Amino acid sequence: MRRALAIVTLLALTLPSFALASGDEETKFDPSEEWNLHTWGPELKIGPIDMSINKAVAYLMLGTVCSILIGIVLMRVKPGRGPNRRQALGETIYEVAQVQVAEQGLPTKAIGRWFPYVATLMVFIWTINILGFIPLPLSDERWHVGGIGIPTFAIFAATSTLSVTLALALMTWVFTHIEGIRENGTWAYFKSWIPDVPKAMLPLIIPLEILGQFMRLISLSIRLYANMLAGHMLILTFIGLIFVLENVFLAVIAVPAATAFYLFEVVIVVSIQAYIFAALSAIYIGSAIEPEH
Amino acid sequence: MLSSFFFLAAAEDGADAGKAIALALGIGLGSLGAGIGIGNIFGSMIQAVARQPELRGELTGIQWLGFALTEAVVFYGLIGGLLAYVLV
Repeated sequence: MRRALAIVTLLALTLPSFALASGDEETKFDPSEEWNLHTWGPELKIGPIDMSINKAVAYLMLGTVCSILIGIVLMRVKPGRGPNRRQALGETIYEVAQVQVAEQGLPTKAIGRWFPYVATLMVFIWTINILGFIPLPLSDERWHVGGIGIPTFAIFAATSTLSVTLALALMTWVFTHIEGIRENGTWAYFKSWIPDVPKAMLPLIIPLEILGQFMRLISLSIRLYANMLAGHMLILTFIGLIFVLENVFLAVIAVPAATAFYLFEVVIVVSIQAYIFAALSAIYIGSAIEPEH
Repeated sequence: MLSSFFFLAAAEDGADAGKAIALALGIGLGSLGAGIGIGNIFGSMIQAVARQPELRGELTGIQWLGFALTEAVVFYGLIGGLLAYVLV
């Protein structure tokens, strides 16, 4: 069973590149093409806001449905019956979200209000990340069989586009300040940003602290975005080397290397990034509710 | 944009060579720093667990937090390098 899974994974990894090879022979292979998002169907524009559907939006919708299903299937269990494996899995996820994420960052009085938010973040980001490593027929390239264009299988994560991660980071950032102002009052909250230093240092410290608040936004979004982007690009680049250098024997090196990176991403990076995003959100919100000074 | 990354960019244009050097330096120096940092984190973790094995559970969370925060440094270098490669 496990060996069969490994072989299927290996085969699945080579699928996207076969699709690229079957395309126009003249076009050069370019891994960054994967991140050119083409609009599907009609363009929906509301004023300056582009609401049209593309690959990343489709992945986000699928991720939303899957994370809702995780909640319903694993955590809605009828009480009274003996615990089964499904329930145990659901409780493990819940425990990680509560003990490792929420209780590390949030003060006790705020857990009731903010636990749902950080737990949702964790499950949602994990789902999108893991969907990004399953080959799905949602790519922009078409494979023509008998006049019908079938989308080729490809791996793509919605979190490897900056807009998605920036939107998630903005939510945490806005909630942080709203909660800080609500709990402490406007003046007291903004005063709590500035540490106790001699008066002469203040002109230097105040801009740095304000900049630091914006740096949180940047670092939170770039961390997730760049991790997923680099992972996908590494896998694509290794497989693509075979087609760029037009040498089949390179597969001996390229395929195992790509598989190693794929396993590293799926086993470690996907879960760590979801955990980090949720834990840092909890820490930021918690530190706004109860400033140290 | 990245396909010339495989072939020697210098053969095409001097400016491309500069961009390729910027990309390589961004990633290379970034991973140098992150490598030292991640080594430090796991080394300290091993020492801490060897001294007090009962604290392993509490330390694991902190360890992964530190790992992810340090690892992200590589990607700031990568993004900076890519920006230099694409935009300039």
